Amino acid sequence: MLLKLSLSSMRKMMKDYLVLLVGLVISISIFYMFQTLGMNDDYVKANSMIRSIGIVFNVGAFLLAFITIFYIFYANSFLLSLRRKELGMYMVLGAKKARISQMLFGETLLMGVVSLVIGSLVGIVLSSGIGQLLMGVLDISADGYYPFYLPALWMTWGFFLVLFLMTATINAIRLARATELDLISAEQQNDNIKAKGIGTMVVAILGILLIAFGYYLLTHLELYVALGFIVGAIVTTIGTYLVFISLLPVFVQMLKNNKKLNDRQLNAFTLAQLRFRINNLTKILGTVAMLIALGVGAMAGGLAFQQNVELVASIGRIYDITLHDPVAEDYQALARMQVLEQNTYRYKKDEQAYYFTKDDLLAHPPLISTNTMEQYSPDNEPKRVTQPLPEKAYIMNNDPDEEQKLARVPKEWGQAILREFISSYEMLADRAVQIVDQETYAKIEGSEHKVLVAQVDDFLKYKDDLKAMDERQMKLLKSGQQDDQEVYLNSKYSTYQQVYAFTSGTLFMGFFLGIAFLAMMASCLMFKILSGATRDKGRYSMLRKIGVRKELLVGSIYKELFVVFVFPALMGLLHVLVGMKMFSVILLNPYVNIWAPIAIFVAVYAIYYLITVRLYRGIVLPKEV
Amino acid sequence: MSTAVLEVKDVQKIYGKKGESQSHALKGVSLTIEKGEFVGIMGPSGSGKTTLLNVISTLDRPSAGFIQIAGTNITQMRQNQLADFRSQKLGFIFQDFNLLENLTVYENIALPLSLQGVPSKEISAKVNKVAQTLGISEILQKYPVQISGGQKQRAAAARALVHEPAILLADEPTGALDSKNAKSLLETMADLNENHQVSIMMVTHDAFSASYCKRILFIQDGSLYTEIHRTTDRPQFFKQILDVLAELGASHDG
Ligand SMILES: Nc1ncnc2c1ncn2[C@@H]1O[C@H](COP(=O)(O)OP(=O)(O)O)[C@@H](O)[C@H]1O
Ligand SMILES: [Mg+2]
Repeated sequence: MLLKLSLSSMRKMMKDYLVLLVGLVISISIFYMFQTLGMNDDYVKANSMIRSIGIVFNVGAFLLAFITIFYIFYANSFLLSLRRKELGMYMVLGAKKARISQMLFGETLLMGVVSLVIGSLVGIVLSSGIGQLLMGVLDISADGYYPFYLPALWMTWGFFLVLFLMTATINAIRLARATELDLISAEQQNDNIKAKGIGTMVVAILGILLIAFGYYLLTHLELYVALGFIVGAIVTTIGTYLVFISLLPVFVQMLKNNKKLNDRQLNAFTLAQLRFRINNLTKILGTVAMLIALGVGAMAGGLAFQQNVELVASIGRIYDITLHDPVAEDYQALARMQVLEQNTYRYKKDEQAYYFTKDDLLAHPPLISTNTMEQYSPDNEPKRVTQPLPEKAYIMNNDPDEEQKLARVPKEWGQAILREFISSYEMLADRAVQIVDQETYAKIEGSEHKVLVAQVDDFLKYKDDLKAMDERQMKLLKSGQQDDQEVYLNSKYSTYQQVYAFTSGTLFMGFFLGIAFLAMMASCLMFKILSGATRDKGRYSMLRKIGVRKELLVGSIYKELFVVFVFPALMGLLHVLVGMKMFSVILLNPYVNIWAPIAIFVAVYAIYYLITVRLYRGIVLPKEV
Repeated sequence: MSTAVLEVKDVQKIYGKKGESQSHALKGVSLTIEKGEFVGIMGPSGSGKTTLLNVISTLDRPSAGFIQIAGTNITQMRQNQLADFRSQKLGFIFQDFNLLENLTVYENIALPLSLQGVPSKEISAKVNKVAQTLGISEILQKYPVQISGGQKQRAAAARALVHEPAILLADEPTGALDSKNAKSLLETMADLNENHQVSIMMVTHDAFSASYCKRILFIQDGSLYTEIHRTTDRPQFFKQILDVLAELGASHDG
C-alpha cells in the first residue's frame, strides 16, 4: 500500500526528482572520470606529464564528493518539503511512522542506485570522449588509459553508496523525530524577524576589515610568502561569512527603511521576502561565494597558466630559431617563413671550450631580452648587444682558477651566447665559452661549426617546421653524445611545447573542477531556496486575490532571487580578481583572458538562476482561473 | 437612475468538465445591491455562498450570466483587467485574515495603495486615517504574529477599505473570532456602513453576525430562496432570521 503511494507520489513529482537526478548524474560521472585518471597507476607512472596532476585529480574528485553530500541533503529536504503534507496525511490516517521512514529510506536509496547506474554510463562516455581530448591536447599517448576502468568504477559505486546510505539514514532519523503536527503545520511557521542592532553593524565592519586585510596579505605574497597565503585565505573566508551574516541583512533592511522605495508597488513584499531569505541563507550564501571563488579561480588559474605559455617561452629567448650546423632542409624551411632577422656565427669546439669569433659577433650583434621571470613587462623591448670587446680573448663558464688569465665575457655577450646560441645544457656540459679574435681563432684545433639564429614574425605559425628542425637538432646533439643520456632542447619551440603540455593539463582540470563546483554549488542554492517555497505559496495566492497582476508577482520573484544569487557571485568574483594577483609571483600576467572563465561562470550561474525562478514560480504562483 | 454598485443576473456556476461528474453550485442567481447597502448572504453549508462571493469578486468565473460592479461588466474581462479591477474597486475580508505575516500591519494596509502607485506621503496619510477609524493606530508597526485575532481582522478590514473600494466583500469575517471580538468587528462594519457610506456584502452562516445587516438574502442549493429587510431593531431582526433559517431547514429536510 505505502509502496504504491510512494511510487505514485514520485511519479507526480517526476520533474522535481529529475532535477535532483541530473545533478547527481553530473557529480557521479565527473567523479568517475577523475578516478579513471587518478587511480590508473600504471598509466600515470608511464606518463610523467600526468604524474604531477594525478593527485590533483584525486583531490578534485573528493572535493566534488564533499559538495555532493550537501547537494543531496538540500535536494532531499526540498523533496521532503514538497511532501510534508502528504506524509502528515499518511500518519494521520494511521500509517506507522517507522513505515514511512522506511519508505523514504528506500526512496533515497533507489534514487541513488538509479543515478549511479546512469552516472557510471555517462562517466564512461565522458571519459572516452574527454579523456581522448585531453590526451590529444597534452600530446601524450592514450595507451594504457581505459575509459572503462573497474577500480574506478568500484571506487565510485562504493563511495556514493556510502554517501546515499548516510543521507538516507539521516533523513529517516529526521523524519522519525518530527511529529505529525510538525509535518502538517510546517508551512505555517512564521519568519522570525530579529531586530538588527548596533552589534550587527560592528560585525559588518569587522567582516569588511577582515576581507581587506586578507586581500592585502594575498596581494603581497612576495613579502609574507606561505604564512601570508594561509592567514590571508582564512581571514578572507571568515570575513566573507561575517559580511553575509551582517552586512547583507543590514543592507536589505536599509532598503526597506527607505519609505519611498518600500511603498512602491510590491516592493514592501519583495523586500520582506528578501530579508527573510538573506537572514535564512547567510551561511549557504557565504559558502556559495567561497566556492564560486574556488571554482572560477580554478578555471582562471588553469587558463592563466596556459595563456602564459608563450610568454614563458619567449621571456628569456628572443630568437625563435637556433640551428647548429643547419642543413639544406633547414634552409628550405626557413625560406617558407617570414624571417625578420637572421644571423649566422662561426664557432669552434674542442674538449675544453666553445670559441666564438669576435669579428662575427661584432659584425652582427645579436638581440637579447630585457625581461626576466622576476621582472616582466610587455614594454621591455629586446635590445641589441652594444658592449665593446677590446681584449684579445674573453672566457666564461670555466673553472675559477683559470679566471686570472683571461677577461670575463661581458654580461650582455654572455647572455646572448647562453640564452640565444646554446640550445641545450647538455651541449655545454663542462665546457667553457670563449670569445676570441681572428688570430687566436685560426690557431684553435677543434672542429668548426656554425650557429644560425633567426627571428620570425610569429613562431606559432610555423609549429610543424619548427618541430622538424628541433628533431634534427636533437639527432645532431645525440650523435655527439657518447651515452644514451636524455637531452632536452631549450629552443623556443621545445620550451613552448613542454610548458604547454603541463599547463593544458592544469587548464583542463581547472575547467572541469570549476564547472563541476559551480554546478553543484548553484544546485545547492537552488534546492535550498526551493525547499522554502511551499511556505510562500499562501502569500502569493493572497496577493493574487487582492488583485496583484501576475507580471508583478513574477517580477517580484525575479528581483528577489536575483539579489540572492547576485551577491555571492559578486563577492566570489571579487575574490577571484584579487586572488589571481597571487599568481603574479609565478605567472607573468595572471589576468590574460580572465573574461573567459568569468563568462563561463556567468552562463552556468544564470542558467541556474533561471531554472530556480521557473521552479519556484511553478510552486508558489496560483493556477489561473 | 440606478445607483446599484452590484448587479448579478442569472449567474450559473458549474464545477467539473462536461461529461464528468458535474456539480451545479449556482443555478441562476440574480440580485442587486444599491450603493450604501449592507447585505448579508446566508444559507446552509454547501449552498453556494462562497461560490457566489468568488464569482462576484472575480476570483472565479461564472459559467453563465452577467455581473456588473460599479457600472463595469466583469464577465468579459481578461486576467490582468480582473486583477486591476480587484485591486481598485474591491475590498476583501476573509475568514482566515489573510494578512501577509512578513509585512507589518502598516505595510499590509498600504499594499493596495502601493499597487496603484499612490505616492508615499499620501499612503501614509490614508493608512493612518483608516487605522484610526478601525482603532488600530497603535499597532501599525507590529507584525501579524504580534497581535490578536481581533486586531488582525481589523487590520484586514483596514486593508480592504484603505483604497475606498466600491464594495466591501466579506466571507465569514467573524468565523475565526471569539464572540467579543466578533461583536466589536460587526459594530465597526455597521458603523462604516452607516457613517462612512461603505457598501458591504457579507457571507455568513451565523445568524448573530447576519443581524447586523440591513437586508439578508437566503440561498439554498444554488438558488435564492428568500430575502428579508431589517425594519425593526437588531434583536428583533435576529429572531426573524432564526425563523427563516428554521423554515429553510424544514424545507430542506422535507
Ligand atoms: N472548486 C470546486 N470544485 C467542485 N465543486 C465545488 C468547488 N467549490 C465548491 N464546490 C461545490 O459547490 C457547492 C457550493 O459550495 P460553496 O460555495 O463552498 O458552499 P458554501 O460556501 O455555501 O458552504 C458545494 O456542493 C461544493 O461541493
Ligand atoms: Mg463557504
